[in-house]
Amino acid sequence: MATTQDMVSDRLPQGVGRWSRGWLLFMALAAIGVAIGVIGWAIEHDQGMAATGMRDLGTMGGATWGVYISMVVYFVGVSFAGITVAALIRLFNLEHLKGVARMAELLTVVALLLGALAIVVDLGQPLRGLVNLFRYARPQSPFFGTFSLVVSGYLFSSLVYLYLTSRPDAARLAESPSRLQPLYRLWAAGYEPTVDQRARDRKATFWLALAILPLLIVAHSSLGFVFGLQVGRPGWFGTLQAPAFVVLAGVSGIGHLIVLAALVRRVLRQEHRIGIEAFTWLGRFLMLLLFVYLYFVVVEIFTSIYQPTTTEQRISDALLTGRYAWIFWGSVAALVLPAFGLAWMAVTRKWRIGWMVIMGLIVNLGAIGKRYLVVVPSETHGQLLPYPIGTYAPSLVEYAVLIGLFSLGALLIGGFMKLFPIVEMEETP
Amino acid sequence: MTRYVMAVDLNRCQGCRACVEACKIENNTPSAVFWMHVFRLEEGEYPDTKMSFLPRPCQHCNNAPCVKVCPVGARYKREDGLVLTDFDRCIGCRYCEVACPYGVNFFNWRNPDEAWDEYQVPFDDPDLMPVTGGVIPSYKNPDHDRLHGPEQRLTSGSAHFKGVMEKCTFCVHRVEQGLLPACVDTCPVGALKFGDIEDEGSPISTFLRNKESFQLLEELGTDPSVVYVGGTPPTSHAREIERPLTGV
Repeated sequence: MATTQDMVSDRLPQGVGRWSRGWLLFMALAAIGVAIGVIGWAIEHDQGMAATGMRDLGTMGGATWGVYISMVVYFVGVSFAGITVAALIRLFNLEHLKGVARMAELLTVVALLLGALAIVVDLGQPLRGLVNLFRYARPQSPFFGTFSLVVSGYLFSSLVYLYLTSRPDAARLAESPSRLQPLYRLWAAGYEPTVDQRARDRKATFWLALAILPLLIVAHSSLGFVFGLQVGRPGWFGTLQAPAFVVLAGVSGIGHLIVLAALVRRVLRQEHRIGIEAFTWLGRFLMLLLFVYLYFVVVEIFTSIYQPTTTEQRISDALLTGRYAWIFWGSVAALVLPAFGLAWMAVTRKWRIGWMVIMGLIVNLGAIGKRYLVVVPSETHGQLLPYPIGTYAPSLVEYAVLIGLFSLGALLIGGFMKLFPIVEMEETP
Repeated sequence: MTRYVMAVDLNRCQGCRACVEACKIENNTPSAVFWMHVFRLEEGEYPDTKMSFLPRPCQHCNNAPCVKVCPVGARYKREDGLVLTDFDRCIGCRYCEVACPYGVNFFNWRNPDEAWDEYQVPFDDPDLMPVTGGVIPSYKNPDHDRLHGPEQRLTSGSAHFKGVMEKCTFCVHRVEQGLLPACVDTCPVGALKFGDIEDEGSPISTFLRNKESFQLLEELGTDPSVVYVGGTPPTSHAREIERPLTGV
């Protein structure tokens, strides 16, 4: 009798430390995906970047930045949601969102790691890059924001945030014996579940959240500046790039968070912790961001078709009616339809989680499409000297690396779920 | 102070592309890489067409976008006006390439040695020796391996590394020895001129004095060191009538 009781109380919450068949299958698939990515990168490393579909601008008629850079922008964008939502919860005490706070923080950390990796696979000299980007860092380059600020500053502060907010749970888990107890002991080292400690942690995370929010705006804007400051590349130069990057980052990030929250809620039976109110809030936030972004899209289209220069016209023709039209209109549809779907749910006050998951996925496809269209058309169609129009299509190697990156993200999140409760544990009174 | 400038006399250029060839030989650039390129342009509809030629080396801008965006300072501007790439420092992010409005940057997509084997005549090959009688030895210019300028960095051509960006150097290894860049030296009609613009008596100063000239894409504010004389900037109707080799 006593033994059963012990076993029950020893059981870690939310399936942590126990492998289910579904989880193993998921992880196996993700591992295969990662292997595909590693093979792709190995080929790229061996043959040089000629193995990708990228080529030089100008006489070679290619695009020198392709899906890799689009993915850097995309992944860093996804990281937006996480820490924003987590910080907003802390700052405004949004109690009903507490259940998604930790997965939001996790999403930020994982997305930033993937963004950093996407930079590394895009570099011609990755090892040199890891050293030189810090050794010879130049704040004058918009890439400083991407490499140094985002990858080190933003990632580091997000990790600290995740660590600080998870220590109470770690301390609680460390009290009962389990296979993972040593890990939790280490995690919670120095933590004492006193009122004093709790107050101090609350204060620290509050100020950290307050510091992260502007850092986040700067980080996403600096990604926009990578493109928006380039006067020599028609289609890129513009004031709207930075704010549009911030908003689309929010769209893709919140979309991801909705999907992840619904998955966790379903798989880990967390209906009581992640209530419909959380989805309502996320849905409204996503709807707001979508409408702001769509406004930007309309403004951008108007500006590019009213009285464009010759080169701007070439790019906007390629976007609106030419080679990239299917991606452009597909992406716009992928952003418009969910926007109105969410508006409908907001008006009728009937929030369907299933539909919201689909919308979360679709807006991400739209976001990837829009990122791609920022990067590529200005390279293939944006030459100011009379070079012929270029072409670019990702190669199998690039697709393999992309599969690897997404799979690595799934692997990391899946792995975390078995190490630590992904939903903040309820505070014992 | 020295400030190097290149002048292109469009009245003289006949589009023979000898400069392109000279550049490729001098700097051993791999397949499909053209540090120097000559546009052969056509405007209008047959039979009312107008042809023109436009040599396009790196513009060595005084306000160079590529220098600004380089995250590690591998692309830099020298006091004498040359814009160079430190091949030992470049990380291959290709930001300079997208920032440059002139399309002069070339990336080493492949291992240059492999790329070479496919298109260079292997004079060392034992099968080829009987044909050449060994009178054409395989030659590598040792100047390329030297460090250049007061800054002592590896910047001259032929230092091709996989995954590193490169472009026209104004033949820094020749200029520092008092020679002209290979393209200028080769031009059979003297359409290309090169020299120190700060020196009032230099041939280039004399040539440019009181002449109407233009720079490519002046409106971008890049202030190129390459000056064009005796022609007009290419209009948006100009189209290139033939494409150089594009496969790496």
